[in-house]
Amino acid sequence: MDLRQIHDVDARIVRLSNIRGNLYSMCLEAPEIARTAKPMQFVNIALGDSTDPLLRRPFSLSGIHPDRGTIGITWAVVGRGTQIMAGWQAGRSVRVLGPLGNGLGIDRLCIDHGLVLVAGGTGIAPLTPLASQALEKEAELQVFYGARSASELLDTGDLGAACMVHLATEDGSVGFGGLVTGLLEARLSAGALGNGRPTVVSCGPKPMLNHVKQICNRHGLPLLVSLEARMACGYGVCQGCVVPRAGGKQGYYRVCTDGPVFRAEDIELGECTG
Amino acid sequence: MNLSTHIGGLALENPVIAASGTFGYGEEYIKAGDVSWFGAVSIKGTTIAPRAGNPPPRTCETPSGLLNSIGLENPGARVVIGQKLPWLARFSVPIIANISAVSCEEFSELAGMFAKSPHVSALEVNVSCPNVKAGGIAFGTSADMCYEATRAVRKAWKGPLIVKLTPNVADMRAIAKAAVEGGADALSLINTLVGMAIDIHSMRPVLGNITGGLSGPAIKPVALRCVWEVSQAVSVPVIGMGGICSATDALEFIMAGASAVAIGTGLLIDPELPRKVTQGIKEYCESRGIESLQEIVGAAWR
Repeated sequence: MDLRQIHDVDARIVRLSNIRGNLYSMCLEAPEIARTAKPMQFVNIALGDSTDPLLRRPFSLSGIHPDRGTIGITWAVVGRGTQIMAGWQAGRSVRVLGPLGNGLGIDRLCIDHGLVLVAGGTGIAPLTPLASQALEKEAELQVFYGARSASELLDTGDLGAACMVHLATEDGSVGFGGLVTGLLEARLSAGALGNGRPTVVSCGPKPMLNHVKQICNRHGLPLLVSLEARMACGYGVCQGCVVPRAGGKQGYYRVCTDGPVFRAEDIELGECTG
Repeated sequence: MNLSTHIGGLALENPVIAASGTFGYGEEYIKAGDVSWFGAVSIKGTTIAPRAGNPPPRTCETPSGLLNSIGLENPGARVVIGQKLPWLARFSVPIIANISAVSCEEFSELAGMFAKSPHVSALEVNVSCPNVKAGGIAFGTSADMCYEATRAVRKAWKGPLIVKLTPNVADMRAIAKAAVEGGADALSLINTLVGMAIDIHSMRPVLGNITGGLSGPAIKPVALRCVWEVSQAVSVPVIGMGGICSATDALEFIMAGASAVAIGTGLLIDPELPRKVTQGIKEYCESRGIESLQEIVGAAWR
């Protein structure tokens, strides 16, 4: 009996584009992965046949299209691996292992009470499939999205037309001037959510996640965070990518298989890797 | 083509073993691979009491290599024997229980605990973990201590006994002979090489534990040399490991004197590697008219 749910596929790059600066995105033909992937899951991409760099690189899915058999990822060039990928071109085939991680689906709770997404920088990418699913299921959705400046904001596509997208830039070039957490706090304090108790899902730099956690605590909102970590295997066997458990519990969770999505109260955000 | 091999009384259908610490207890692996691709599996290093492991960061990529300092995170022997092994046994692939302890008394107690499990085909005594403060590598760097630890396990365990050795010594042959004198039926080599990495931005070591064990293709030449030396110095079978990422790598180890090979870091990159390595060994042998794997064990020095 084949118990496998994670596929290692030769995926053809359908499209690869430099969004601007060091930001890239690509669309990969990977029907086996696209068929079962959930929002907030990730894939582990091999950089080639060379042993240097040795490990695959993990990327959240920024697009999941089972109908077309494709998946999308979005990345910023931050090191050798992402630099190599930036040099790839459409038509090339790459090894892709996935879908990986727990992921997050839109459940009854989200549909009844709504969903608030809080993203910083490239953190908007993995939240995009979740937002699409929320809209499909007619859950009430609000998006808070911040970056350093207008030029670093990723295109939120059709989201703007379908739901409230609150933008923040640190230099004030677009939307609220300041951090996205400042905007979130201001809107919540102004009663923007009424009496609702939506689930907040956040993805972005660790200091931002910490700040979002404080805000949600103050306003009594449940918070899910999606973590990034440097990984070796990505599928749970090496125990390398851990985050400390919170609430006086001993030990660690693995970001790759226990996460990447965690209830904020379950983990110590102050000490996570990556 | 006969791929079967023997490791100190343990019969394997093929020579490819999952290296301890890169397979967990199989629960995650089955989602990405098939346990039956392996000739045997060595479970995550297990201690008597549960261990939380080392603080992160626990891994760091290096040129063609991987540093890790997991620190023997495991749920403890009771959980492993009571829950993990009965579950893993369903795949009918021989299970090698890798055990780690801080004293000979503990080694003896652990061996006794595993001796009561019907699911263990062999014990692998870890005298070579570089990432724990007490025990671990200390047993593997002294011939006397290696002898004592092996003897302690031998008295409590009647089945196939493997000792996993560290390369972080002046002469592995002396340690290997001590393990065999202590009662080892086979030897696993090599465990990781102690190394480190420094982050020039923070001016601090990358790993939370400061040092870690280096694995992957970067250590393959060292591992091959160790297998070459040790397999000629002792009469027991050797399980070769260290950076195996292809059938060619595996064949090199076999020709250096390994009766079986283990895949560790390679498994982290490609869960299907055991199937590919076994297939590649088979194709190589068939293309050369080699009918049994045993014909090429130690071929490079025989």
